[in-house]
Amino acid sequence: MQQKKMSRREFLRKSLIAGAAGAVALHAKPSHASPNTQKKYAMMIDLTKCTGCESCVLACREENRHKFPEPVHPIPVNWPTGKYDDWSDKREVRDRLTPYNWTIVQTVEILRNGQIEKINIPRHCMHCDNPPCANLCPFGANTQTPEGAVVIDDSSCLGGAKCQAVCPWGIPQRQGGVGLYMKIAPGLLGGGVMYKCDFCHHRLTAGKVPACVESCPNGAITFGTKEEIIKLARERAKEINGYIYGDKENGGTSVLYVSHIPFSEINEALIKQGAGDKKSGKPAMPTFTDNPSDAPEHLVKSLALAPLAGLLTAGITAYKTFTREGSKHEND
Amino acid sequence: MKMIKRHDFSAIMTHWLVALSTFTLFFTGFVQLPVAKRYFISTLPGLSWSADYSFTLKLHYLAAAVLTFALFFHLASKIITRDFDLWPRRGDIRESYLIIKSLITKKPEPPSDKYLAEQRLAYAYMAFNFLLIVLTGMIKVYKNLPGISLNPKLVWLATTLHNISSFLLGLGIFAHLLAFILFRENRNLIPSMFTGKVSLEYAEHRHPLWLKRIKNNDNDQQERSQIFKQQIFDEG
Ligand code: HEM
Ligand code: HEM
Ligand code: SF4
Ligand code: SF4
Ligand code: SF4
Repeated sequence: MQQKKMSRREFLRKSLIAGAAGAVALHAKPSHASPNTQKKYAMMIDLTKCTGCESCVLACREENRHKFPEPVHPIPVNWPTGKYDDWSDKREVRDRLTPYNWTIVQTVEILRNGQIEKINIPRHCMHCDNPPCANLCPFGANTQTPEGAVVIDDSSCLGGAKCQAVCPWGIPQRQGGVGLYMKIAPGLLGGGVMYKCDFCHHRLTAGKVPACVESCPNGAITFGTKEEIIKLARERAKEINGYIYGDKENGGTSVLYVSHIPFSEINEALIKQGAGDKKSGKPAMPTFTDNPSDAPEHLVKSLALAPLAGLLTAGITAYKTFTREGSKHEND
Repeated sequence: MKMIKRHDFSAIMTHWLVALSTFTLFFTGFVQLPVAKRYFISTLPGLSWSADYSFTLKLHYLAAAVLTFALFFHLASKIITRDFDLWPRRGDIRESYLIIKSLITKKPEPPSDKYLAEQRLAYAYMAFNFLLIVLTGMIKVYKNLPGISLNPKLVWLATTLHNISSFLLGLGIFAHLLAFILFRENRNLIPSMFTGKVSLEYAEHRHPLWLKRIKNNDNDQQERSQIFKQQIFDEG
């Protein structure tokens, strides 16, 4: 017990350092804790430090290449829309999210105090606390791991793209011609497999920080446990008299952005350059807190109380019938 | 025509609450699959809301609450009043085969109790699927709560069983309706789900065991304390 705690703390400390300085020396592995005791991780992206060099984009691509789809051609045309998604011959695309590009760096220019400021924003899955994409997957192919990573299983995803529709940022991207749907009724059902940043889940379980964190030469991305990162983001925001994005959005996420410019202004600038449409692969930064998979509390309550209400009503009805019958007999 | 009382008010209410909520669940559950946009369902007039996952999910929750209420009410009522008329019995499989055979060959069928053997089997089939759907549905609702994340294997299992049992239930309901469409004889039962009564003549020739049971009053069924005459109504 004692030992486990020690090694995890050490892992954390080292990962934080790794994030800040790009150090790779991580000897301690996160102990194989049970899902209940496993700590959730998070990252802080400091927009005051990102230079837009795209090292993270390239590192992500290298690190995750082995997970990229290798579709069979020709890719089936989806009935009845007549469309299909194929990015396999556009693997180099870097200005939007694709099945082969899980992170992008967006750049906006914002006028402040008479001066134009350039802001670079690395974007990928936010790894939401209560991920609608995973909650609402009708095939259970998308799940949140104990580490807090939201991961799509490429062997059971059918590519209906519901996750993209319910993700407030439209993150997951579809590649046709791969996956389970090819074995069922290609063209009629499904349309491929959805791909997105998986928080480098294979690295987390091996005791390493995500590739993008490690690759950033400017220390713009810091990785650690959720609690640590939230604390750190608050401190940093205070320090620069700035703002946090991702702590409340969609009910809370594991990717926290810190910026000295309000996110509403960044969002506006992003939308002006065409971001925000769910299918564009270019997420905007809307400020909101409600989550599409949270049912209103009264609905959940009535659902929880329904069995009890049924039992009670049955009891009352039966009681009434018995007593009515009883009195009937007395009158006879 | 002489009629005999077959269902009380609460049985009729339960049946229609279940039917209404189940149809709602079928539609709102179906559009939880990404089908509304893909197959242009949401472009049909009046159905634009079908592509709104958040809205249809709320409807699904609401109908699920109604269904769960009705199912628990039904089970508890039947147990309290010891009314096991619908529970399957030994030999039901063979008997329902004989009944369907005679419906087709138009030969006399074996005498039935209140329900036909295949109704009892259909009931068990539906009850099993309903229980599975509600159980897996509850797991799905639970995992959607903020702060809850369940084991991925459990989520996959619940989701897959939810989908399979929905499909099986759909088949069952289809068969239930087909039974009325295909066999004229069964249509005599339809008024019972609206007025609670069924033709006495029909009951006499098809459900003689049921009538005998009420007449003899030798059972501890719901009708226990009522006398046969009280249940016969002369309706012109
Ligand atoms: C006759 C009854 C029902 C039918 C036919 C039905 C059918 C479906 C179908 C086809 C789906 C979409 C695929 C999927 O996500 O698995 C679904 C989703 C869902 N069902 Fe049902 N369902 C029924 C009852 C219920 C009940 C009683 C509950 C809750 C107690 C429930 C909760 C859910 C939830 C929460 C989803 C959304 C997806 C998710 O959150 O995992 N369903 N249902
Ligand atoms: C979701 C839809 C429905 C479900 C789950 C359902 C379920 C049931 C069940 C379990 C029974 C008990 C015995 C049996 O299996 O026959 C029953 C009886 C009955 N149902 Fe349905 N039902 C549904 C829809 C309908 C509809 C649309 C009709 C309209 C024709 C209908 C008409 C009847 C009648 C007339 C009976 C009474 C049979 C008798 O008195 O013996 N049901 N239903
Ligand atoms: S950002 Fe989108 S894809 Fe990522 S976990 Fe949240 S809902 Fe899912
Ligand atoms: S966490 Fe991993 S998968 Fe996600 S953007 Fe960074 S490198 Fe890519
Ligand atoms: S590597 Fe660092 S500085 Fe370069 S784009 Fe990514 S986050 Fe920004």
